[in-house]
Amino acid sequence: MKKRGDIPVHGALLVFVFLTMLPFLFVINNSLRTNTEMYHSFFGLPKSLGNMARFTWYRLTGRHDAIRLRRPIPQGKAAAEVRAADLPVEQVPYGRAMARLWDDLTRGYRYSWEVLRPYMVNTLLVCLTTAGGVVLIGSISGYVFARYRFPGSKALFVAVLSLMMIPGVLTLVPSFLLVKRLGLLNSYWVLILPYVAGGQIFAIFLFKGFFEGLPEELFESARLDGAGHFALYWHIVLPLSKQIIAVVAIMNILGTWNNFLWPFITNTDPKYHVVSSGLYIMGTSQVAQNYSTMFAAYLLSSIPLLLLFIYATRPFLRGVASGAFKA
Amino acid sequence: MGPSERRHISQNLGCYGLLAPTFLLLAVFSVVPFVWAFTTSFYRYEIGGEAAWVGLTNYVEYPQDPTFAISFRNLLFLTAFSVLVHVVFPLAVARLIFALSSERARYAYRIVFLVPIVVPGVAVLMIWRGLVYGDNGIVNELLRLAGLTEVARGWLSDPDTVLWAVACIGFPFASGINILIYYAGLTAIPESVHEAAQLDGASGLGKFFRIDLPLVLSQVKLLVILTIIGAVQGFQGMFILTRGQPGFESMVPGLWMYFNAFSFQRMGYACAIGVILFLIILVLTVLNLKYFKSAEDVTAAAT
Repeated sequence: MKKRGDIPVHGALLVFVFLTMLPFLFVINNSLRTNTEMYHSFFGLPKSLGNMARFTWYRLTGRHDAIRLRRPIPQGKAAAEVRAADLPVEQVPYGRAMARLWDDLTRGYRYSWEVLRPYMVNTLLVCLTTAGGVVLIGSISGYVFARYRFPGSKALFVAVLSLMMIPGVLTLVPSFLLVKRLGLLNSYWVLILPYVAGGQIFAIFLFKGFFEGLPEELFESARLDGAGHFALYWHIVLPLSKQIIAVVAIMNILGTWNNFLWPFITNTDPKYHVVSSGLYIMGTSQVAQNYSTMFAAYLLSSIPLLLLFIYATRPFLRGVASGAFKA
Repeated sequence: MGPSERRHISQNLGCYGLLAPTFLLLAVFSVVPFVWAFTTSFYRYEIGGEAAWVGLTNYVEYPQDPTFAISFRNLLFLTAFSVLVHVVFPLAVARLIFALSSERARYAYRIVFLVPIVVPGVAVLMIWRGLVYGDNGIVNELLRLAGLTEVARGWLSDPDTVLWAVACIGFPFASGINILIYYAGLTAIPESVHEAAQLDGASGLGKFFRIDLPLVLSQVKLLVILTIIGAVQGFQGMFILTRGQPGFESMVPGLWMYFNAFSFQRMGYACAIGVILFLIILVLTVLNLKYFKSAEDVTAAAT
């Protein structure tokens, strides 16, 4: 099957893949290293991981006396007050040594998870509510526009679509003035309501196109069976629309997850920070002094979308593709 | 496929009722800000203060603003650079993927190049700011490793390098959706075209420029316009990376709008800058609309 000509193409593509992934490889690596390690050698693998392997080897070969670690910084003292070189190196039982190394290895993740967890919960809440709202409102309106003719239906649809052309840069400041006047600042609603309002436009467009493509016979036979409008929508249309619903939902989750500026200016109360604004604020805070904490935070904040990507690759692809055209 | 005809107003009421949530939300969160953007731009207005009508003063002031020339110079440079690299690199990668004989390998590469999209945009920018361009970042450490210590610098804080450093963020510009769009365009080229070219002895670059490129031109046009519209609007990146510094060296119009609104409380002036950017985008959007149908097809084909 494989053609010989493929090999140089693979080579070129792998160079692109490597360069694309390079910063992220550094992030993964450095999320497992301490500041001191990074200071001593920027290009290096996590020391605690190496020690874990080494100590396990010593244990297997029965050299328990070689399992030695520097005594930890005494309680109640800041790391800056103590010179690491002043702390004595001593023999430690294997189990305790591994526990301490594991502790070093995962410190960044534990610290950043502590900060990120409430942001993650907020983001998840806003993402799911927004996606749910957009799917519900968008599918109903898309259905009405697709299957019914009434005075003004065309004009109303064009009106909705034309709103898609309003760029965010124009409305950022007045939208802020509006939500401030509505008293929505520092709440979940200040995110959810504008996101649903904006997100539904493209959703209506997609849903309308999809519903128009459904065969008319389907509706006729259902009507003959005495199905009402709601029954038609609920029992016939929605079950057929799982794919498009997934696309719309994922597209909106992506947009909501990535939106930084709006939550940053409207929700200054840390209680309502989302991941993107939280990451930025984390970067300006004390926590950022510990590099591994920030690197771990970048990775942790990517995991939910990564899982979504793995779980729903195809709708994810279509969602991404649709999202690109929303502008 | 004919939609149900409904002639009686009473039965239409249901339709209007179902559309009510859509239009209520749009009226409040789209139409009001849209109108306010224009009206506010004619006032001098601080939150909590009195709004004073100033007519076109804000619009007259902006071209005389010390940041105006440099902002638009930067915008032009970054847009041009962004268009160039986001057209060329993804097209090259898409063409490479398309050249593979194994269907599974082609799918795998398309997925792999899309994976970085799961990293939040803010995180990507912060990674580039700190890990790549930082004092102890990848670029500087590599230079030091190569013995070029004197070349190492704060790439984003040096006025000579800041714009290029910002422009190069995302190198090699091969992740994301553009590859999928080009790939879809390439697969739409009939096999017979390639075979005919083969018979004529066309190969390599010549074949690419004479056959592939003209046939994906609609994708190129679409992505050029989308990239330009994105670039004109985009200032979030600059906010995270440099905040327009050093001096105003990396200022862009959108960022100046942001600072006027949220740092200097000059809401009217900020809105005027927003309106100016809107007018630029409007022209581009009208061009974009010409390609809107194709955009939809491309979306479906990209998967």
